[in-house]
Amino acid sequence: MIAEREVTRRNFLKIVGSVGAGFALGSFTAISGCSPKKAVASSGSRDFAPNGYLKIEPDGTITVTIFKSDMGQGVRTSMAMLVAEELDADWDAIKVVQAPASAAASVQGLGVGGSSSTQTTLTQMRQIGAAAKTMLVAAAAQGWGVDPSSCTTSNGIVMHEASGRSAPYKDLLSAANTMPVPNLTTVRLKDPKTFKIVGKPRNRIDNPLVVTGKAKYGIDVKIDGMKYAVIARPPTMGGSLKSFDAAEAKKIEGVTDVVKVASGVAVVATNTWAAIKGRNALKITWDPGPNPNLDTASILTQLKSMLTTQKPAVPAGGKSVEATLDLPYLAHATMEPMNAVADFRDGRCDIWVGTQNPGGAQQDVATLLGIAPKDVTVNVMLVGGGFGRRGTVDYAVEAADVSRAAKAPIKLLWTREDDMRNDFYRPMSHHSFFGAVDKDGNPAVWLQQAVLTEGNGMMKTEPNAQTIYALPAAQCLIHGGIKPPVRTGAWRSVINGNMVPANECFFDVLAHLGGKDPLELRLKLVGDPRLKTVLKMAADKVGWDKPLPPGSGRGIACFNGYLAAIAHVVELTVKGDEIHVDRVVAVIDVGMAVNPRGIEAQIQGCISDGLATALRAEITVDKGEIVQSSWDNYLWMTPEAMPKVEVYIIQTGDKVAGMGETGYPSVPPAVANAVFAATGKRVRKFPIKVSELV
Amino acid sequence: MASYTIHVNGADHTIDALPDMPLLWVLRDFLDLTGTKYGCGIGACGACTVIMDGEATRSCQVQIKDVASAKVTTIEGLDVNGNHPVQQSWVTHDVPQCGYCQCGQIMSAVALLSKNPKPSDKEIDEAYAAQICRCGTYVRIREAVKHAGGHMGEK
Repeated sequence: MIAEREVTRRNFLKIVGSVGAGFALGSFTAISGCSPKKAVASSGSRDFAPNGYLKIEPDGTITVTIFKSDMGQGVRTSMAMLVAEELDADWDAIKVVQAPASAAASVQGLGVGGSSSTQTTLTQMRQIGAAAKTMLVAAAAQGWGVDPSSCTTSNGIVMHEASGRSAPYKDLLSAANTMPVPNLTTVRLKDPKTFKIVGKPRNRIDNPLVVTGKAKYGIDVKIDGMKYAVIARPPTMGGSLKSFDAAEAKKIEGVTDVVKVASGVAVVATNTWAAIKGRNALKITWDPGPNPNLDTASILTQLKSMLTTQKPAVPAGGKSVEATLDLPYLAHATMEPMNAVADFRDGRCDIWVGTQNPGGAQQDVATLLGIAPKDVTVNVMLVGGGFGRRGTVDYAVEAADVSRAAKAPIKLLWTREDDMRNDFYRPMSHHSFFGAVDKDGNPAVWLQQAVLTEGNGMMKTEPNAQTIYALPAAQCLIHGGIKPPVRTGAWRSVINGNMVPANECFFDVLAHLGGKDPLELRLKLVGDPRLKTVLKMAADKVGWDKPLPPGSGRGIACFNGYLAAIAHVVELTVKGDEIHVDRVVAVIDVGMAVNPRGIEAQIQGCISDGLATALRAEITVDKGEIVQSSWDNYLWMTPEAMPKVEVYIIQTGDKVAGMGETGYPSVPPAVANAVFAATGKRVRKFPIKVSELV
Repeated sequence: MASYTIHVNGADHTIDALPDMPLLWVLRDFLDLTGTKYGCGIGACGACTVIMDGEATRSCQVQIKDVASAKVTTIEGLDVNGNHPVQQSWVTHDVPQCGYCQCGQIMSAVALLSKNPKPSDKEIDEAYAAQICRCGTYVRIREAVKHAGGHMGEK
């Protein structure tokens, strides 16, 4: 029996292994402690664990192993929903555990970013649920001596209607373990029309842990003998350590060590507070490096120097307009600042970290320590906000560096100030437009130029900047090559967060130049029919033609990407120097919704981000240093400033759109266009200040 | 270092600490009450909110030497099974996204609703002044506060 089962499992892994790159189920089986041999030996016939993703226990608990990091986008919930759907499981029986990136694992597929988590894993997770269900049905059918095709499943029970027999999954586990494993690529999946779990609103599976304080983030990890550390880093970009005197720091009670590491000087202590006080007491001489005079104005001058002065001809009887828009650097400022726990000893390193990129952490820590990736175990913790920041794993590497230098298990904390001043920022950009309309007011010329700062090569701008509109003679020039020493990285919606606000603002300018309604002109010129639908519906929901009182205005903008189409309408009031957003309506076509409740949450959150970055937040540079340091000068949305928010979700087709990024790009331009509607003045710079309108 | 006895979640804890150590780090590093989160250390975000003698208090702004005989309640002292009406309302309204700030958000709600079970929008704004959720769950926080207010005292 055992041998048979083992062969069955091996076949299963082989089949799964052939599915394709990025779906390393065999490896996940190993990392979840269920390598074929081990699983058989340890679970006997009691559990049913056909693969490393899914385990059913005799008490009926179904554990789904999640191999994507959850940073608030709800992937732990949506992935479990997909498995539960095809398995026909009782949702209340579902539990999730997080897959680590460990010694035995291929970590391909663990990363999160680009709103890809749900869409790329959709089919895989469904196949896993379907395969397990097939085996459970086969087990029941064999026991009853009936044809499996005459059985049905619902809510964790196999039924044979003709004979009135039924069996809960938990009673079929040992028999199911002996059943042949279906080929995942051909296992029969449900018709989405029959879905009972997928597409229905579900609350996040981690809520009970969160509201009791039991949810464990990276910052909450405590291991035996662990010490706490903070690092003093050069304040100027490109600066370096000249010398330091640790005498005063070592006098702070609780400070146990002060060590030099690659990124600066680490103070190690028996508690966080002592480490922070110790750092404050360090006497350090920094070499400011080559950029002591760098500031935002000089970066902007560099950006503008890339622009060409060409101007296409304006048609006879037409008129032209020019406009610019400046977008600042933005910090990710996740609520949980960067941190990691590292324990390097005996040629191995264990890491506990909230990351979007466990594989990268494993590789980079191994490189730093000169050990093999297989000797680095990355335990993936809940992530207290990602937004793109935690795709970069520098903080895990730093923790390993301190652990090596201090010869102790270390929890490295970045204080809020460290976090804000050492980010990989959303690039600053300058946008320049020249446009013209013909004698009838129709757009005739569209020349846009965009210059984005490049910092670490991630922002090699793809020429995806063409507009979503059918515009005659549209030209899009993207200028690269400006590389100030400010690190940049992926920030929610990446390049779309720069390009879409610029384009959607200038489209509004051009519409008004030609005396056209910005909504009507969009509907006329937009190519994507899904965009047309969401624009129309957003206008209907908000009452586009309803007049607003003087001082108030309404703005619209839209975006398509990540397989979705979305439109935002913003209503706001300008009073003196204050801009008060009254209402935001979002309509999104998500393709096929896995968890509408989670989608709504992402779109609500993106509205908060959009308003914060349209009206409040910016990162600036002065004397080679990042100016902002904490929530008191990097201003985010606050509860009292949140408007009435309405989110409408429509579904067309069977593709699952990404949600983490989609809801952001069209919010800031909808705000800027509403400001114009309210004041007759244009926005030239984000965040918007009434005094800077032109 | 000095020895302090503080009253947290109904029990006395004696701790040796630097007198200026913020309550936040006492809770997290010494008492392993990690539901109280570090967000900024300057009282600007509210992630570390606990209840001290009935008032929502940013634990990063209270030094251990000043805690004295105050009764401190953290999220772990609310209801370990999540049955407090505010915790339940948070689950029902599916408030958390990343979840990191939510213990602080919940403690602010508990402090507010204990005194004022039917707060107006303005009163909610005042209670939540400068309390940040980077995921932007504000819409649902407001709904959850209002709903929970109607159920306070049902526990």
